[in-house]
Amino acid sequence: MSDTILSIRNLIIRRGYFILNDVSLDIHERELFAVIGKTGAGKTMLLEASAGFCKPDHGQVLYRGTPVRDIPLHKRNIGYLYQDYNLFPHMTAAGNIGYSLKMRHVPNSEIQSMVQEIARLFEVDGVLDQYPGTLSGGEQQRVALARALLMKPPLLLLDEPFTALDPVTKHRMYGMFRTIRDKFSCAVLFVTHDFAEAQALADRIGVLVGGSLRGVVSSDQLYLADWDRDVRMFLGLDAMRRRC
Amino acid sequence: MRKHRHPDIFLSLCGILTILTVLFIGTNVIVMTFQGTRSFLSNVMRTETLFAIGLSVRTACVSTLLCFLLAVPTSFILERTSFPLRPVVETALELTMSLPNIVLGLSMLIIFASPFGKALKHAGFPVVFSQNGIVLAQLIVNLPFAIKLSTAAFRDVDVKLEHVAGLLGASPFRQFSTILLPLSRHTLISALILVWSRALGEFGATLMLVGVTRMKTETLPAGIYLDVSTNDLSGALSSAFMLLLISALSLGIANRLTKKNVRWSRHV
Repeated sequence: MSDTILSIRNLIIRRGYFILNDVSLDIHERELFAVIGKTGAGKTMLLEASAGFCKPDHGQVLYRGTPVRDIPLHKRNIGYLYQDYNLFPHMTAAGNIGYSLKMRHVPNSEIQSMVQEIARLFEVDGVLDQYPGTLSGGEQQRVALARALLMKPPLLLLDEPFTALDPVTKHRMYGMFRTIRDKFSCAVLFVTHDFAEAQALADRIGVLVGGSLRGVVSSDQLYLADWDRDVRMFLGLDAMRRRC
Repeated sequence: MRKHRHPDIFLSLCGILTILTVLFIGTNVIVMTFQGTRSFLSNVMRTETLFAIGLSVRTACVSTLLCFLLAVPTSFILERTSFPLRPVVETALELTMSLPNIVLGLSMLIIFASPFGKALKHAGFPVVFSQNGIVLAQLIVNLPFAIKLSTAAFRDVDVKLEHVAGLLGASPFRQFSTILLPLSRHTLISALILVWSRALGEFGATLMLVGVTRMKTETLPAGIYLDVSTNDLSGALSSAFMLLLISALSLGIANRLTKKNVRWSRHV
Protein backbone atom coordinates (compact mmCIF):
# COMPACT_ATOMS: atom_id res chain seq x y z
CA MET A 1 0.00 0.00 0.00
CA SER A 2 1.29 3.47 -0.85
CA ASP A 3 1.90 6.19 1.75
CA THR A 4 -0.97 7.83 3.56
CA ILE A 5 -1.43 11.48 2.61
CA LEU A 6 -4.46 12.28 4.75
CA SER A 7 -5.28 10.54 7.98
CA ILE A 8 -8.45 11.34 9.87
CA ARG A 9 -8.40 9.93 13.40
CA ASN A 10 -11.50 9.65 15.62
CA LEU A 11 -12.77 12.98 14.37
CA ILE A 12 -15.70 14.49 16.26
CA ILE A 13 -17.13 17.89 15.32
CA ARG A 14 -20.30 19.31 16.89
CA ARG A 15 -22.28 22.02 15.11
CA GLY A 16 -25.57 22.71 16.86
CA TYR A 17 -27.57 19.47 16.88
CA PHE A 18 -25.37 17.84 14.24
CA ILE A 19 -22.38 15.69 15.18
CA LEU A 20 -19.75 14.33 12.85
CA ASN A 21 -19.21 11.28 14.98
CA ASP A 22 -15.89 9.49 15.46
CA VAL A 23 -14.80 9.41 11.82
CA SER A 24 -11.52 7.63 11.03
CA LEU A 25 -10.22 7.42 7.50
CA ASP A 26 -6.93 7.13 5.59
CA ILE A 27 -6.43 8.48 2.07
CA HIS A 28 -3.41 7.21 0.21
CA GLU A 29 -1.25 9.00 -2.30
CA ARG A 30 -2.75 9.13 -5.82
CA GLU A 31 -5.95 7.51 -4.57
CA LEU A 32 -9.42 8.50 -5.81
CA PHE A 33 -11.62 8.32 -2.73
CA ALA A 34 -15.32 9.11 -2.65
CA VAL A 35 -17.45 9.79 0.40
CA ILE A 36 -21.12 9.25 -0.30
CA GLY A 37 -24.07 10.21 1.84
CA LYS A 38 -27.43 11.93 1.82
CA THR A 39 -27.75 15.73 2.04
CA GLY A 40 -27.01 16.65 5.65
CA ALA A 41 -24.93 13.53 6.33
CA GLY A 42 -21.87 15.66 7.14
CA LYS A 43 -19.98 15.27 3.85
CA THR A 44 -19.06 18.95 3.44
CA MET A 45 -18.11 19.21 7.11
CA LEU A 46 -15.78 16.22 6.69
CA LEU A 47 -14.23 17.85 3.63
CA GLU A 48 -13.81 21.20 5.40
CA ALA A 49 -12.24 19.43 8.38
CA SER A 50 -9.86 17.67 5.98
CA ALA A 51 -8.72 21.05 4.68
CA GLY A 52 -8.39 22.29 8.27
CA PHE A 53 -11.13 24.91 7.98
CA CYS A 54 -12.98 23.76 11.08
CA LYS A 55 -11.61 22.94 14.48
CA PRO A 56 -12.32 19.38 15.69
CA ASP A 57 -13.91 18.91 19.09
CA HIS A 58 -12.02 15.64 19.34
CA GLY A 59 -9.55 13.66 17.22
CA GLN A 60 -7.30 15.03 14.55
CA VAL A 61 -6.65 15.34 10.85
CA LEU A 62 -3.09 14.62 9.79
CA TYR A 63 -1.91 15.89 6.41
CA ARG A 64 1.36 14.20 5.45
CA GLY A 65 1.82 13.29 9.11
CA THR A 66 1.30 16.79 10.52
CA PRO A 67 -1.93 18.04 12.14
CA VAL A 68 -3.44 20.03 9.27
CA ARG A 69 -4.41 22.99 11.45
CA ASP A 70 -0.77 23.33 12.60
CA ILE A 71 0.21 24.16 9.01
CA PRO A 72 -0.57 27.80 8.11
CA LEU A 73 -3.41 27.91 5.56
CA HIS A 74 -1.21 29.45 2.85
CA LYS A 75 1.43 26.73 3.25
CA ARG A 76 -0.87 23.68 3.12
CA ASN A 77 -0.90 23.32 -0.68
CA ILE A 78 -4.23 21.51 -0.76
CA GLY A 79 -6.52 21.94 -3.75
CA TYR A 80 -10.13 22.64 -2.79
CA LEU A 81 -13.14 22.93 -5.04
CA TYR A 82 -16.37 24.14 -3.48
CA GLN A 83 -19.70 23.06 -4.89
CA ASP A 84 -20.28 26.55 -6.28
CA TYR A 85 -16.62 26.78 -7.42
CA ASN A 86 -16.00 30.11 -5.61
CA LEU A 87 -14.08 31.78 -8.40
CA PHE A 88 -12.90 35.28 -7.52
CA PRO A 89 -15.56 37.43 -9.21
CA HIS A 90 -13.32 40.49 -9.62
CA MET A 91 -10.64 38.62 -11.57
CA THR A 92 -10.73 37.20 -15.08
CA ALA A 93 -10.43 33.45 -15.65
CA ALA A 94 -6.70 34.00 -16.29
CA GLY A 95 -6.40 36.01 -13.06
CA ASN A 96 -8.14 33.22 -11.16
CA ILE A 97 -5.97 30.46 -12.60
CA GLY A 98 -2.72 32.38 -12.12
CA TYR A 99 -3.57 33.57 -8.60
CA SER A 100 -1.42 30.95 -6.83
CA LEU A 101 1.60 31.88 -8.96
CA LYS A 102 1.07 35.57 -8.27
CA MET A 103 1.04 34.81 -4.54
CA ARG A 104 4.42 33.15 -5.00
CA HIS A 105 5.81 36.19 -6.82
CA VAL A 106 6.38 34.30 -10.09
CA PRO A 107 7.25 36.73 -12.95
CA ASN A 108 4.27 37.76 -15.10
CA SER A 109 5.65 36.25 -18.32
CA GLU A 110 6.01 32.86 -16.63
CA ILE A 111 2.51 33.14 -15.13
CA GLN A 112 1.07 33.80 -18.59
CA SER A 113 2.70 30.79 -20.19
CA MET A 114 1.81 28.43 -17.31
CA VAL A 115 -1.80 29.68 -17.28
CA GLN A 116 -2.06 29.18 -21.05
CA GLU A 117 -0.69 25.66 -20.76
CA ILE A 118 -3.10 24.50 -18.03
CA ALA A 119 -6.01 26.37 -19.64
CA ARG A 120 -5.43 24.39 -22.84
CA LEU A 121 -5.47 21.16 -20.84
CA PHE A 122 -8.81 22.05 -19.26
CA GLU A 123 -10.14 23.52 -22.52
CA VAL A 124 -10.72 27.00 -21.13
CA ASP A 125 -8.03 28.82 -23.13
CA GLY A 126 -10.77 30.57 -25.13
CA VAL A 127 -12.33 32.24 -22.09
CA LEU A 128 -9.23 33.42 -20.24
CA ASP A 129 -10.08 37.11 -20.51
CA GLN A 130 -13.67 36.64 -19.31
CA TYR A 131 -15.00 37.24 -15.80
CA PRO A 132 -16.54 34.26 -13.92
CA GLY A 133 -20.03 35.78 -14.11
CA THR A 134 -19.98 35.40 -17.90
CA LEU A 135 -18.88 31.73 -17.91
CA SER A 136 -21.10 28.65 -18.10
CA GLY A 137 -21.22 26.18 -15.17
CA GLY A 138 -18.90 23.75 -16.93
CA GLU A 139 -16.41 26.49 -17.82
CA GLN A 140 -16.46 27.80 -14.25
CA GLN A 141 -15.75 24.31 -12.95
CA ARG A 142 -12.85 23.77 -15.32
CA VAL A 143 -11.38 27.19 -14.48
CA ALA A 144 -11.71 26.35 -10.76
CA LEU A 145 -10.03 22.95 -11.33
CA ALA A 146 -7.21 24.56 -13.31
CA ARG A 147 -6.76 27.11 -10.52
CA ALA A 148 -6.70 24.41 -7.83
CA LEU A 149 -4.28 22.17 -9.72
CA LEU A 150 -1.78 24.70 -11.08
CA MET A 151 0.53 24.33 -8.06
CA LYS A 152 0.25 20.52 -8.31
CA PRO A 153 -1.17 19.95 -4.80
CA PRO A 154 -0.67 16.40 -3.48
CA LEU A 155 -4.31 16.37 -2.31
CA LEU A 156 -7.43 17.63 -4.08
CA LEU A 157 -10.70 17.99 -2.16
CA LEU A 158 -13.91 18.27 -4.19
CA ASP A 159 -17.34 19.10 -2.79
CA GLU A 160 -20.12 17.64 -4.97
CA PRO A 161 -18.11 18.48 -8.10
CA PHE A 162 -20.68 17.41 -10.69
CA THR A 163 -23.99 18.31 -9.05
CA ALA A 164 -24.55 21.59 -10.89
CA LEU A 165 -23.67 20.23 -14.34
CA ASP A 166 -25.98 19.02 -17.09
CA PRO A 167 -25.66 15.28 -18.04
CA VAL A 168 -23.56 15.93 -21.18
CA THR A 169 -21.07 18.23 -19.42
CA LYS A 170 -21.05 15.84 -16.46
CA HIS A 171 -19.90 12.90 -18.58
CA ARG A 172 -17.32 15.06 -20.29
CA MET A 173 -16.01 16.04 -16.86
CA TYR A 174 -15.87 12.40 -15.74
CA GLY A 175 -13.27 11.82 -18.45
CA MET A 176 -11.30 14.87 -17.38
CA PHE A 177 -11.49 13.73 -13.75
CA ARG A 178 -9.65 10.49 -14.54
CA THR A 179 -6.84 12.38 -16.28
CA ILE A 180 -6.34 14.64 -13.26
CA ARG A 181 -4.73 11.89 -11.19
CA ASP A 182 -2.51 10.76 -14.06
CA LYS A 183 -1.37 14.28 -15.05
CA PHE A 184 -1.09 15.80 -11.58
CA SER A 185 -0.28 12.71 -9.47
CA CYS A 186 -2.56 13.83 -6.66
CA ALA A 187 -4.90 12.03 -4.31
CA VAL A 188 -8.52 13.08 -4.73
CA LEU A 189 -11.12 13.05 -1.96
CA PHE A 190 -14.54 13.95 -3.25
CA VAL A 191 -17.96 13.91 -1.66
CA THR A 192 -21.15 13.21 -3.54
CA HIS A 193 -24.69 11.98 -2.96
CA ASP A 194 -24.61 10.11 -6.29
CA PHE A 195 -23.33 6.57 -5.55
CA ALA A 196 -23.31 5.60 -9.24
CA GLU A 197 -20.96 8.52 -9.86
CA ALA A 198 -18.80 7.50 -6.91
CA GLN A 199 -18.63 3.91 -8.13
CA ALA A 200 -17.71 5.02 -11.64
CA LEU A 201 -14.88 7.33 -10.55
CA ALA A 202 -13.43 6.24 -7.20
CA ASP A 203 -11.00 3.52 -6.15
CA ARG A 204 -12.55 3.31 -2.68
CA ILE A 205 -15.81 4.58 -1.24
CA GLY A 206 -16.77 5.56 2.29
CA VAL A 207 -20.43 5.74 3.27
CA LEU A 208 -21.43 8.51 5.67
CA VAL A 209 -24.83 8.23 7.34
CA GLY A 210 -26.05 10.65 10.02
CA GLY A 211 -22.56 11.96 10.69
CA SER A 212 -20.88 8.57 11.15
CA LEU A 213 -18.75 6.69 8.66
CA ARG A 214 -20.40 3.26 8.33
CA GLY A 215 -17.62 1.65 6.35
CA VAL A 216 -15.08 1.89 3.55
CA VAL A 217 -15.04 -0.50 0.60
CA SER A 218 -13.43 -0.73 -2.79
CA SER A 219 -15.82 0.68 -5.38
CA ASP A 220 -16.62 -2.74 -6.91
CA GLN A 221 -17.80 -3.93 -3.48
CA LEU A 222 -20.26 -1.08 -2.90
CA TYR A 223 -23.37 -3.18 -3.56
CA LEU A 224 -21.88 -6.47 -2.32
CA ALA A 225 -20.55 -5.56 1.11
CA ASP A 226 -22.37 -6.47 4.30
CA TRP A 227 -23.82 -3.06 5.22
CA ASP A 228 -26.01 -2.14 8.16
CA ARG A 229 -29.71 -1.30 7.70
CA ASP A 230 -29.21 2.48 7.29
CA VAL A 231 -26.70 2.04 4.48
CA ARG A 232 -28.85 -0.61 2.81
CA MET A 233 -31.75 1.86 2.90
CA PHE A 234 -29.57 4.65 1.47
CA LEU A 235 -28.23 2.47 -1.32
CA GLY A 236 -31.68 0.96 -1.94
CA LEU A 237 -30.25 -2.54 -1.58
CA ASP A 238 -33.28 -4.04 0.20
CA ALA A 239 -35.66 -2.77 -2.46
CA MET A 240 -33.30 -4.00 -5.17
CA ARG A 241 -33.12 -7.47 -3.61
CA ARG A 242 -36.92 -7.58 -3.20
CA ARG A 243 -37.33 -6.81 -6.90
CA CYS A 244 -34.85 -9.56 -7.78
CA MET B 1 -55.57 37.57 -6.48
CA ARG B 2 -54.94 37.45 -2.73
CA LYS B 3 -51.30 36.87 -3.51
CA HIS B 4 -50.92 40.46 -4.77
CA ARG B 5 -52.72 42.13 -1.87
CA HIS B 6 -49.71 42.65 0.40
CA PRO B 7 -47.43 44.07 -2.28
CA ASP B 8 -50.23 46.54 -3.17
CA ILE B 9 -50.44 47.77 0.43
CA PHE B 10 -46.65 48.00 0.65
CA LEU B 11 -46.53 49.92 -2.63
CA SER B 12 -49.13 52.41 -1.37
CA LEU B 13 -47.27 52.86 1.92
CA CYS B 14 -44.02 53.35 0.05
CA GLY B 15 -45.69 55.95 -2.20
CA ILE B 16 -47.20 57.87 0.73
CA LEU B 17 -43.88 57.85 2.58
CA THR B 18 -42.03 59.08 -0.51
CA ILE B 19 -44.53 61.94 -1.02
CA LEU B 20 -44.29 62.96 2.67
CA THR B 21 -40.49 62.86 2.55
CA VAL B 22 -40.40 64.90 -0.64
CA LEU B 23 -42.85 67.44 0.84
CA PHE B 24 -41.00 67.67 4.14
CA ILE B 25 -37.46 67.83 2.79
CA GLY B 26 -38.55 69.56 -0.39
CA THR B 27 -39.99 72.55 1.50
CA ASN B 28 -36.72 73.00 3.35
CA VAL B 29 -34.69 72.55 0.20
CA ILE B 30 -36.82 75.08 -1.71
CA VAL B 31 -36.53 77.69 1.05
CA MET B 32 -32.79 77.10 1.38
CA THR B 33 -32.25 77.10 -2.37
CA PHE B 34 -34.22 80.25 -3.14
CA GLN B 35 -33.29 82.21 -0.04
CA GLY B 36 -29.76 80.83 0.02
CA THR B 37 -28.95 81.30 -3.67
CA ARG B 38 -30.27 84.89 -3.70
CA SER B 39 -27.30 86.08 -1.69
CA PHE B 40 -25.27 82.90 -2.04
CA LEU B 41 -22.30 84.27 -3.95
CA SER B 42 -21.85 87.40 -1.85
CA ASN B 43 -22.23 85.40 1.38
CA VAL B 44 -20.04 82.52 0.33
CA MET B 45 -17.20 84.87 -0.58
CA ARG B 46 -17.14 86.33 2.94
CA THR B 47 -13.89 85.63 4.76
CA GLU B 48 -15.79 83.93 7.61
CA THR B 49 -17.67 81.57 5.26
CA LEU B 50 -14.54 80.72 3.29
CA PHE B 51 -12.78 80.00 6.58
CA ALA B 52 -15.69 77.81 7.74
CA ILE B 53 -15.75 75.86 4.45
CA GLY B 54 -11.97 75.37 4.56
CA LEU B 55 -11.98 74.27 8.21
CA SER B 56 -14.97 71.96 7.75
CA VAL B 57 -13.53 70.25 4.68
CA ARG B 58 -10.05 69.96 6.24
CA THR B 59 -11.21 68.54 9.58
CA ALA B 60 -13.76 66.22 7.92
CA CYS B 61 -11.04 64.83 5.62
CA VAL B 62 -8.57 64.25 8.48
CA SER B 63 -11.17 62.74 10.84
CA THR B 64 -12.60 60.47 8.09
CA LEU B 65 -9.14 59.24 7.20
CA LEU B 66 -8.35 58.51 10.86
CA CYS B 67 -11.77 56.93 11.26
CA PHE B 68 -11.16 54.41 8.49
CA LEU B 69 -7.58 53.73 9.51
CA LEU B 70 -9.02 52.58 12.83
CA ALA B 71 -12.33 51.15 11.59
CA VAL B 72 -11.08 48.84 8.81
CA PRO B 73 -8.72 46.69 10.94
CA THR B 74 -11.20 46.71 13.84
CA SER B 75 -14.03 45.56 11.56
CA PHE B 76 -11.80 42.87 10.07
CA ILE B 77 -11.06 41.50 13.55
CA LEU B 78 -14.72 41.67 14.56
CA GLU B 79 -15.97 40.03 11.38
CA ARG B 80 -13.30 37.49 10.54
CA THR B 81 -11.84 36.30 13.83
CA SER B 82 -13.21 34.88 17.04
CA PHE B 83 -11.92 35.85 20.45
CA PRO B 84 -13.23 35.76 24.00
CA LEU B 85 -15.51 38.63 25.08
CA ARG B 86 -16.22 39.56 21.48
CA PRO B 87 -19.89 40.48 22.15
CA VAL B 88 -18.73 42.76 24.98
CA VAL B 89 -16.23 44.49 22.68
CA GLU B 90 -18.86 44.86 19.95
CA THR B 91 -21.37 46.39 22.36
CA ALA B 92 -18.76 48.74 23.83
CA LEU B 93 -17.73 49.93 20.38
CA GLU B 94 -21.32 50.55 19.34
CA LEU B 95 -22.38 52.14 22.60
CA THR B 96 -21.44 55.65 21.53
CA MET B 97 -23.86 55.36 18.58
CA SER B 98 -26.79 55.41 20.96
CA LEU B 99 -25.57 58.47 22.87
CA PRO B 100 -26.56 62.01 21.80
CA ASN B 101 -23.58 63.79 20.25
CA ILE B 102 -23.80 66.55 22.82
CA VAL B 103 -23.34 63.98 25.62
CA LEU B 104 -20.31 62.59 23.82
CA GLY B 105 -18.95 66.14 23.54
CA LEU B 106 -19.52 66.66 27.26
CA SER B 107 -17.69 63.41 28.07
CA MET B 108 -14.77 64.51 25.92
CA LEU B 109 -14.76 67.94 27.52
CA ILE B 110 -14.53 66.34 30.98
CA ILE B 111 -11.64 64.12 29.83
CA PHE B 112 -9.69 66.82 28.00
CA ALA B 113 -10.29 69.55 30.57
CA SER B 114 -8.70 67.25 33.16
CA PRO B 115 -4.96 67.23 34.06
CA PHE B 116 -4.57 64.69 31.23
CA GLY B 117 -5.88 67.24 28.71
CA LYS B 118 -3.67 69.94 30.21
CA ALA B 119 -0.65 67.66 29.90
CA LEU B 120 -1.56 67.11 26.24
CA LYS B 121 -1.77 70.88 25.77
CA HIS B 122 1.69 71.35 27.31
CA ALA B 123 2.98 68.60 24.99
CA GLY B 124 1.81 70.70 22.03
CA PHE B 125 -1.54 69.00 21.36
CA PRO B 126 -4.33 71.21 22.70
CA VAL B 127 -7.81 69.75 22.33
CA VAL B 128 -10.30 71.96 24.17
CA PHE B 129 -11.18 75.12 22.19
CA SER B 130 -8.78 74.14 19.42
CA GLN B 131 -9.13 72.78 15.90
CA ASN B 132 -7.65 69.43 17.04
CA GLY B 133 -10.77 69.10 19.15
CA ILE B 134 -12.97 69.38 16.05
CA VAL B 135 -11.16 66.42 14.44
CA LEU B 136 -11.38 64.45 17.67
CA ALA B 137 -15.09 65.18 18.14
CA GLN B 138 -15.85 64.11 14.56
CA LEU B 139 -13.70 61.00 15.02
CA ILE B 140 -15.40 59.88 18.24
CA VAL B 141 -18.88 60.53 16.87
CA ASN B 142 -18.25 58.76 13.56
CA LEU B 143 -15.98 55.88 14.56
CA PRO B 144 -18.73 53.43 15.64
CA PHE B 145 -20.66 54.34 12.51
CA ALA B 146 -17.59 53.64 10.33
CA ILE B 147 -16.96 50.35 12.15
CA LYS B 148 -20.58 49.29 11.62
CA LEU B 149 -20.44 50.12 7.90
CA SER B 150 -17.05 48.45 7.36
CA THR B 151 -18.16 45.33 9.24
CA ALA B 152 -21.27 45.12 7.04
CA ALA B 153 -19.07 45.54 3.95
CA PHE B 154 -16.81 42.66 5.02
CA ARG B 155 -19.78 40.48 6.00
CA ASP B 156 -21.09 40.71 2.42
CA VAL B 157 -17.97 38.95 1.10
CA ASP B 158 -18.12 35.14 1.21
CA VAL B 159 -15.45 33.94 3.63
CA LYS B 160 -14.96 30.83 1.46
CA LEU B 161 -13.23 33.04 -1.13
CA GLU B 162 -10.57 33.89 1.47
CA HIS B 163 -10.25 30.19 2.39
CA VAL B 164 -9.65 29.35 -1.27
CA ALA B 165 -7.15 32.20 -1.60
CA GLY B 166 -5.36 30.92 1.51
CA LEU B 167 -5.09 27.40 0.11
CA LEU B 168 -3.74 28.92 -3.11
CA GLY B 169 -0.87 30.40 -1.14
CA ALA B 170 -2.14 33.83 -0.06
CA SER B 171 -0.96 34.92 3.38
CA PRO B 172 -3.62 36.42 5.69
CA PHE B 173 -2.58 39.93 4.62
CA ARG B 174 -2.72 39.00 0.91
CA GLN B 175 -6.16 37.40 1.44
CA PHE B 176 -7.23 40.74 2.90
CA SER B 177 -5.59 42.92 0.25
CA THR B 178 -6.37 40.84 -2.87
CA ILE B 179 -9.79 39.38 -2.01
CA LEU B 180 -11.60 41.02 0.89
CA LEU B 181 -10.63 44.64 0.21
CA PRO B 182 -11.28 44.66 -3.57
CA LEU B 183 -14.61 42.85 -3.16
CA SER B 184 -15.81 45.25 -0.49
CA ARG B 185 -14.26 48.39 -1.94
CA HIS B 186 -17.45 49.84 -3.43
CA THR B 187 -19.27 49.57 -0.11
CA LEU B 188 -16.22 50.86 1.76
CA ILE B 189 -15.82 53.89 -0.50
CA SER B 190 -19.50 54.74 -0.21
CA ALA B 191 -19.21 54.32 3.59
CA LEU B 192 -16.20 56.64 3.55
CA ILE B 193 -18.17 59.30 1.70
CA LEU B 194 -21.14 58.97 4.06
CA VAL B 195 -18.86 59.24 7.09
CA TRP B 196 -17.15 62.29 5.56
CA SER B 197 -20.54 63.84 4.96
CA ARG B 198 -21.56 63.19 8.58
CA ALA B 199 -18.27 64.67 9.81
CA LEU B 200 -18.92 67.78 7.74
CA GLY B 201 -22.28 68.29 9.41
CA GLU B 202 -21.21 67.35 12.96
CA PHE B 203 -22.16 70.04 15.47
CA GLY B 204 -23.23 68.77 18.93
CA ALA B 205 -19.99 67.20 20.13
CA THR B 206 -17.89 69.90 18.45
CA LEU B 207 -19.91 72.64 20.20
CA MET B 208 -19.30 71.09 23.62
CA LEU B 209 -15.59 70.43 23.12
CA VAL B 210 -14.32 73.45 21.19
CA GLY B 211 -17.17 75.97 21.43
CA VAL B 212 -18.05 78.27 18.54
CA THR B 213 -15.56 81.06 17.96
CA ARG B 214 -15.57 83.06 14.72
CA MET B 215 -12.53 82.43 12.54
CA LYS B 216 -11.10 79.98 15.07
CA THR B 217 -13.35 76.97 15.55
CA GLU B 218 -16.04 78.00 13.06
CA THR B 219 -17.11 75.04 10.94
CA LEU B 220 -20.02 75.32 8.48
CA PRO B 221 -22.65 74.10 10.98
CA ALA B 222 -21.11 76.33 13.66
CA GLY B 223 -21.26 79.22 11.17
CA ILE B 224 -25.00 78.62 10.68
CA TYR B 225 -25.47 78.67 14.46
CA LEU B 226 -23.48 81.93 14.77
CA ASP B 227 -25.35 83.55 11.85
CA VAL B 228 -28.72 82.67 13.31
CA SER B 229 -27.70 83.89 16.76
CA THR B 230 -26.65 87.25 15.22
CA ASN B 231 -29.90 87.37 13.21
CA ASP B 232 -28.10 86.96 9.85
CA LEU B 233 -30.62 84.60 8.24
CA SER B 234 -29.30 85.09 4.71
CA GLY B 235 -25.77 84.09 5.80
CA ALA B 236 -27.15 81.06 7.62
CA LEU B 237 -29.18 79.98 4.58
CA SER B 238 -26.15 80.36 2.28
CA SER B 239 -24.09 78.11 4.56
CA ALA B 240 -27.00 75.67 4.81
CA PHE B 241 -27.25 75.66 1.00
CA MET B 242 -23.52 74.97 0.79
CA LEU B 243 -23.88 72.00 3.17
CA LEU B 244 -26.87 70.79 1.17
CA LEU B 245 -24.87 70.93 -2.05
CA ILE B 246 -21.94 69.01 -0.55
CA SER B 247 -24.27 66.41 1.03
CA ALA B 248 -26.21 65.89 -2.20
CA LEU B 249 -22.98 65.52 -4.15
CA SER B 250 -21.49 63.01 -1.69
CA LEU B 251 -24.75 61.03 -1.55
CA GLY B 252 -24.82 60.91 -5.36
CA ILE B 253 -21.23 59.64 -5.49
CA ALA B 254 -21.93 57.10 -2.72
CA ASN B 255 -24.99 55.75 -4.54
CA ARG B 256 -23.08 55.48 -7.78
CA LEU B 257 -20.24 53.59 -6.13
CA THR B 258 -22.51 51.10 -4.38
CA LYS B 259 -23.69 49.83 -7.76
CA LYS B 260 -22.04 46.52 -8.63
CA ASN B 261 -19.28 46.41 -11.16
CA VAL B 262 -21.11 45.47 -14.36
CA ARG B 263 -18.04 43.79 -15.84
CA TRP B 264 -18.46 40.95 -13.33
CA SER B 265 -22.02 40.31 -14.36
CA ARG B 266 -23.33 38.04 -17.06
CA HIS B 267 -25.91 40.67 -18.06
CA VAL B 268 -23.48 43.13 -19.64
